[in-house]
Amino acid sequence: MPKIRKVLVANRGEIAIRVMRTCKDLGIATVAVYSEADRSALHVRTADQAYFVGPPPSRESYLVQERILEVAKQSGADAIHPGYGFLSENASFVRACEKAGITFIGPPAAAMDAMGEKTRARANMIKAGVPVVPGTTEPIGTIEEAREYAQKIGFPIMLKAAGGGGGKGMRRVEGLGDFDSAWRSAKSEAMSSFGNDAVYIEKYLEKPHHVEIQVFADQYGNTIHLNERECSAQRRHQKVVEETPSPILTPELRAKMGEVAVKAAKAVNYVGAGTVEFLVDVHRNFYFLEMNTRLQVEHPVTEWVTGLDLVAMQIRAAEGEKLPLFEAPAPRGHAIEVRVYAEDPARNFMPSPGRIHALRVPSGPNVRDDSGVYAGFTVPNYYDPMISKLSVWGATREEAIARAKRALSEYVVKGITTNLRYLHGILSHPEFVGGDYDTSFLTRQHTELLGQEDAQLSEVALLASTLHAFQRDQKRAKTLPSRGGGGDTSGRISPWRLALKSRRR
Amino acid sequence: MRYFTKQQQGQKEAVPVDLEPLGQDRYRLTVNGKTFQVDALSVDQGTLSLPVDGQSYNVEFEENGDEIGTLVRGQVNRTDVADERKLRMRAAASSFSVEGRQLVLAPMPGKVVKVLVKVGEEVKEGQGLVVVEAMKMENELKSPKAGKVTEVFAKEGTAVENNAKLVVVE
Repeated sequence: MPKIRKVLVANRGEIAIRVMRTCKDLGIATVAVYSEADRSALHVRTADQAYFVGPPPSRESYLVQERILEVAKQSGADAIHPGYGFLSENASFVRACEKAGITFIGPPAAAMDAMGEKTRARANMIKAGVPVVPGTTEPIGTIEEAREYAQKIGFPIMLKAAGGGGGKGMRRVEGLGDFDSAWRSAKSEAMSSFGNDAVYIEKYLEKPHHVEIQVFADQYGNTIHLNERECSAQRRHQKVVEETPSPILTPELRAKMGEVAVKAAKAVNYVGAGTVEFLVDVHRNFYFLEMNTRLQVEHPVTEWVTGLDLVAMQIRAAEGEKLPLFEAPAPRGHAIEVRVYAEDPARNFMPSPGRIHALRVPSGPNVRDDSGVYAGFTVPNYYDPMISKLSVWGATREEAIARAKRALSEYVVKGITTNLRYLHGILSHPEFVGGDYDTSFLTRQHTELLGQEDAQLSEVALLASTLHAFQRDQKRAKTLPSRGGGGDTSGRISPWRLALKSRRR
Repeated sequence: MRYFTKQQQGQKEAVPVDLEPLGQDRYRLTVNGKTFQVDALSVDQGTLSLPVDGQSYNVEFEENGDEIGTLVRGQVNRTDVADERKLRMRAAASSFSVEGRQLVLAPMPGKVVKVLVKVGEEVKEGQGLVVVEAMKMENELKSPKAGKVTEVFAKEGTAVENNAKLVVVE
């Protein structure tokens, strides 16, 4: 296959810039697309060429397949990188690219189809011998059958009403002794709530961790894994902090999960970068959750500990090159990523779009900030609130945590509310430091993670605010009269007045 | 020079802070019976280098109306600062409390997806007034007090800017 010379990045924000950076490193030209809301966005200026694709809502711009392909042809791009989200897991788009003779940097459409829908993916994985959360998914007829099945998958189990949700008709059963009565009450509750007493059984996972395995395959069936990422720090199924290695994985478990993930990828003839997500319970059993057939947001932590550039590898795989390595490299050191969101954790994570007045990003040893914004940029309210992902490396987990906290303390974003302080709270929490935090961690510890107010700092804030008000009033008194007379003789505008001007907008 | 400050939503009494300029950006400040001598050098647009009693603080400012937001060592505070003249004016307009007329503003730019109240309607404290959508998330704005809705500016389906007037509760 010929070398890729020009890539259209069908995405926006930080991931578009992330992909373009590697393209530039490889000497590949880049093409950006942008909506009306993103005319001033950084990814537009980062690219060599940029094309307007439509109004702000993504379904009228970034998701319009014909429009993206039209731009690809117009600009002379020979490949499209979809980033994550938007068209990245859309099999019909992959087919449309194929038809148009443009390389899609990602897996083939058939692999996406096989993993796209949860129940289909589950069936495919069972067929391939990959462990899934044990359960019947279909209602069970008699109590005898149910009892037998429960014993087979092992207690504790959950009884769930087939007819509905919301906790009704749901029972957690600890052992055989409680089974019969729980079965009867679940059935009668299901009947009275949904008019349907059908109940099915699922294994109850205690303190589940979300651990995912990065896989990579070339076009010749060579498939490897690139170790795991621990992503249990989630709120409303949204990942907030990710790290690798996972603090709960032994080398044996890593090898076992890696092997299964490779098996899953091979079962669907996967090509390129993909991620197999698992739930790991308190007994360290692991179960297939789903496969993401694209580059993940959190891929930088894998890059830190393997020394690889996953985007470069994606491009090489799409060009038809063979994998550069044949087995997982042993993880070197430890990496942590935190996602910086334009949102207010104290107000139920309310989004906070708006203009960024000032921005100071962290730097120094082993710190990486993948950002999509700049000072003066207005974060639009149409898209995901993530403005940047900050990742760090340390020789040990302890060092990485300390470095992540140090980097967060350097981060200043003015004009919009961010979750920076909340992220610091997570990294400082004893449960996170201990390493065994499950997927309920952020919800359980929410109040504590928001942080206590330090009375001494509040007093400093009081002093500072008073000084600020005084200095402001002084400057105002000085500058206001000169306006009418037209005569600040120095010809300079006071920085305070400049600041006030921009705020009045 | 005396200023009055308020940091918390529920705080009833404003805390007085006395400020005495000593020249060259040095000041003497008195609050809660304690006196501090500070070196308050403005180093950047909205940034202050503030050594207090041997501790070094970098302060980032952000103004939002009468409120001054500060970021000090990772902690965000919002402080309402008024001099004596302003305090008197505001006492008349009663904006230092939730007594009287309360104007509910849009906390962010977005789209009004639902208006939950009508003019003349009695509302409880914490009752939802308007639902605003931003970044694919819906946010319900609640009434700051029990009272009667006297004005509704929000219209369903329209875009609103930050601090746009939505509803008045009296």
